[in-house]
Amino acid sequence: MIVTRSWLNEWIDLSAVTTEDLAKKLNSIGLEVDRIHSYNIAKKIIVGKVLECEKHPDADKLNVCKVDIGTSIRQIVCGASNVRAGLDVVVATIGAVMPSGVVIKPVKLRGVESEGMICSATEIGLEDAHDGILELDSSIGVYELGQEVCTIDALNDDLIEIELTANRGDCLSIRGIARDLSAAYDKPLIETLINEDEDKRVGIGRILSLSHETQLDVNLRYRAVDIKELTIPLIVKLRLAQIEESRSTDIESLMLYVTHSSGVILRAYKYEFFSSDGESIAKIELKKDENSYASIYSSVRAEKASTIGIIQEDVSKAKDEERTVLIEASYIPPDIISKKMQESKIESGPMYYRTSRGSEPELNQGLDFCLNMIETYSSSLVYGGTIELCDSYEDKIITVTKKEIEEIIGAKIDRVRITKILRNLGFDTNKSSQDNFVITVPRFRHDITHKQDIVEEIVRLVGIDNIASKPFVFAESSKLQDDYFAYKKRSIYRHKAAQSGFFENVAFVFDEKKVLLECGFETTNEELELINPIVNTLDTLRPTLMTGLLKAASHNVKNGINSVKLFEVGSIFSPTREESLKMAFIFSGDKEKDTLLNAGKPRSIDFAHFTQKISDIIGEFELKEHETKHNLSHTYQCASVIQNDEIIGELFRLHPSVQESYDLESTYLCELDFIKLPYGLKTAKASSKYQSSIRDLSIIVPKTMKYEEVKSVIEKNATKELIRFYPVDKYSDKTLGKNMSLSIRFVLQSNEKTLEEEDITSTMETILKSLNEELKVGLR
Amino acid sequence: MIMETLLKEWYDKINKVKSVEALEEIRISVFGKKGVLAAEFAKMKDATGEEKSKIAKDLNTHKNSLMSELSAKKITLQTAELKKAMQAEAIDVSMFSAQSEIGALHPVMETMDKIVEYFCAMNFEVKTGNMIEDDFNNFEALNLPKYHPARDMQDTFYFKDEMLLRTHTSPVQIRTMMAQKPPIRMIAPGAVFRRDYDITHTPMFHQVEGLLVDDESKVSFANLKYILEDFLKYMFGDVEVRFRPSFFPFTEPSAEVDISCVFCKGEGCRVCSQTGWLEVLGCGIVDPNVFKAVKYNNVSGYAFGLGVERFAMLIHQIGDLRSLFEGDIKLLEQFQ
Repeated sequence: MIVTRSWLNEWIDLSAVTTEDLAKKLNSIGLEVDRIHSYNIAKKIIVGKVLECEKHPDADKLNVCKVDIGTSIRQIVCGASNVRAGLDVVVATIGAVMPSGVVIKPVKLRGVESEGMICSATEIGLEDAHDGILELDSSIGVYELGQEVCTIDALNDDLIEIELTANRGDCLSIRGIARDLSAAYDKPLIETLINEDEDKRVGIGRILSLSHETQLDVNLRYRAVDIKELTIPLIVKLRLAQIEESRSTDIESLMLYVTHSSGVILRAYKYEFFSSDGESIAKIELKKDENSYASIYSSVRAEKASTIGIIQEDVSKAKDEERTVLIEASYIPPDIISKKMQESKIESGPMYYRTSRGSEPELNQGLDFCLNMIETYSSSLVYGGTIELCDSYEDKIITVTKKEIEEIIGAKIDRVRITKILRNLGFDTNKSSQDNFVITVPRFRHDITHKQDIVEEIVRLVGIDNIASKPFVFAESSKLQDDYFAYKKRSIYRHKAAQSGFFENVAFVFDEKKVLLECGFETTNEELELINPIVNTLDTLRPTLMTGLLKAASHNVKNGINSVKLFEVGSIFSPTREESLKMAFIFSGDKEKDTLLNAGKPRSIDFAHFTQKISDIIGEFELKEHETKHNLSHTYQCASVIQNDEIIGELFRLHPSVQESYDLESTYLCELDFIKLPYGLKTAKASSKYQSSIRDLSIIVPKTMKYEEVKSVIEKNATKELIRFYPVDKYSDKTLGKNMSLSIRFVLQSNEKTLEEEDITSTMETILKSLNEELKVGLR
Repeated sequence: MIMETLLKEWYDKINKVKSVEALEEIRISVFGKKGVLAAEFAKMKDATGEEKSKIAKDLNTHKNSLMSELSAKKITLQTAELKKAMQAEAIDVSMFSAQSEIGALHPVMETMDKIVEYFCAMNFEVKTGNMIEDDFNNFEALNLPKYHPARDMQDTFYFKDEMLLRTHTSPVQIRTMMAQKPPIRMIAPGAVFRRDYDITHTPMFHQVEGLLVDDESKVSFANLKYILEDFLKYMFGDVEVRFRPSFFPFTEPSAEVDISCVFCKGEGCRVCSQTGWLEVLGCGIVDPNVFKAVKYNNVSGYAFGLGVERFAMLIHQIGDLRSLFEGDIKLLEQFQ
């Protein structure tokens, strides 16, 4: 909602208030100031009158003008097509500094002296109100020749843009904002007096009749005018440019101006639309249309003229012709119209925003203002009286006690003050007794329905900054629950991942269905799918974090990052849209940064290094050969991750062709079920005080044999002294043929004693023997 | 006196020696079993009486002085040698400026952690919830009737079965109120979704919302002001806090909360659109219709909500919202 100081001044006297104070006040009463713009017109730009205007002898498009600037008469060359003798214009005189930075100097244009410049609106820093030079008129107030334009308030104005909240339809007009300010400043609202000389007018009843089928919840009021010599005054053009709205015809521009000023929804109809040639009375019919919206019809044509509060049909719109025009003011309660739109949506016009948020129900405020303007700025003939239709409306009454008000606010507020605030806002409190307020809500306040709304009015006018803060005393002791532990666990794993070199990724939970299906993932079932995705590439819920990590990795590689390490903890969705939490990692490209340590040639990430990194974060785990359901993985480098005999996720090298399609170097991925990651209490085992011993065994095994097999045989046959064993080397050469040498390190320790050589030997022999018997493998 | 000249020669040798090894050789030649001193002491057996004791005394004086010369020289030589050895190990330290290999947390998640930490310390429970919600919990119970503009298809992601992606974390509050009895003091951190994608909007972002419910007439606007002022100072340091009346369907009275601009200290700059203030929070007294929806009687409460991305962007002076969702390491590594 855009207002200007001079516009507001027509309803409330703000002459003693600075724009800065005004903005502060608006903010404090809940009308948030979004933007302030001052039209500071420069000095030495003054009002002049064009006395003579003749064609330039040497230039077709230029005119040589004699301009009276109060103190003297100047010769000015002007190129605007609308310049003509008799116009009051804006003249930039010698020495004036224009907003563009240009300083006005005497010049010769094609051999003719020019002492100044006749200006357009944009040349002096105003909005683009009309083509060519500004044509001043009385609508901007009284001015004198030679007067500096910066002293004319209507031009040297301040614009304030207010970000209105959805509930304040009553503030969608200049008058509405002024009404709120009148309560805030405790100053009266200036109401325009309409001079009614009914006697001289022809009554509207002689040319128009209105019929309606049933009681519809609308208010309608019509007046009629014979339009003659209507011109749109400068102030209206200027202000419509300031609110950045425009209409194609003068009559519609005027309706828009009145609506923005008064908040009343106005429409101008062609009289002929409702009349037939033979009859002298035009007939308007109010009835429900095929979607049961309250609508206006021409009885004669049996054609719709408009849908109340929604849109006007083009055929019924008044044009800029000197004909009879019907002006309609309408009101429909916002809840009725929004509910209707929810049920069956139809196309809406530019006024729907206002009607759905609540337009001004006091129809005369707009209608009188409008006809007053028409009479002032044209020689039109206005018909006497109105034709109207009113709905039945019952006053909303809310009761609230002083104690209730004070408890919600948390501060004492004086009874007299409460009464004054409410009265200034247009609430009727006459039925109140001592500390019990009985409040009649004015009809324009659609948003006020219960006592909390009343409290809100008091809070905003008292000012929240004037309420002292108070700590809340809480008796109950809060409990830390499961959700907190889950949050904490997440935080711990995220910190570990970051410490281990991974950067945290946050991706949208949306992904591209087509790509996911190509990658072999199961996506959300069709009947549960999103109806209105934001873009095609985010058209479903993600079933994995890995595709998001691949996209991010690819993005980083394009940015010149050679070593990409990313992780994410986030929600994924099953085909039945069940949400679960995953933690995923990607490691792509160089193992480390290029430094002196690796002579600037870091090696690529490999399986061993990647598993080591993941283990740094989630602790020890086992890997078992695994086939993925999707096809992101390398066929022969793919494992399930096992902790405590449970599969918690998968870890694999990226398939070379996927790698290529994402423009990546060697890449490894791991995705884990977050809920299965260990968290909680850990039990400490008694640690042995005795020395541990290490033995390495190098056995010859077929290359095709899995370490898993070797491992299970050792585990089955080990004594309790064997506390750990792990592969440390593998080696193959020609002499070994289809075999390879596998070195395994054994750590032996006892809780009871330092192990003797013979204890160790016997354990190792048992292991060797069982390997020999069960797998037919032995020492090198 | 022969002895004098003889020993003089060894003092010179000790003085001139260049290495610890050569010094050791001198020590053996002087103090060894077959050394000069032993030979001199041996000569004493030919001397008699007074002369013998004089020789013994002189010899002992020389022995002590040679010994101290020798050990002093040894320390000098050892120090020099160690210095030389270390010199040989000299490196150009300037080539080894430290390069961290650790990763970093996402600034949005880290900001969310910091927010959660505050409210946990203030005895609020943490409640999460599902991202997919139904109409009742996301809208209806929050006093957003069917025809409310905020429910427009423009803003909400809907599924074919009439479920939707939560547009705020408020449904978590509704679910908590339905499951627990008052008093309640909770926050709901998490991802939320709106159909908006431009320079200042992403279809997913994060919120933390808070709720406090207690007996009727216990919870006031003044209480809400108290905790939010304290919280914002914890998050942003010494800033001014301003409350502006506003409107939300689920609170009444409602307010928006501004802090003095952290960039220009309230002077007016591009970030705060020359106003000197930054809007950071929405809050209010819980609307009675919300309590009615969860069948709570005779209670009062306050609620507040904030956007985590906005906080992170203000705290870390990050300009581009969308860059937060690209996993951009160049951005993330600044938070190591």
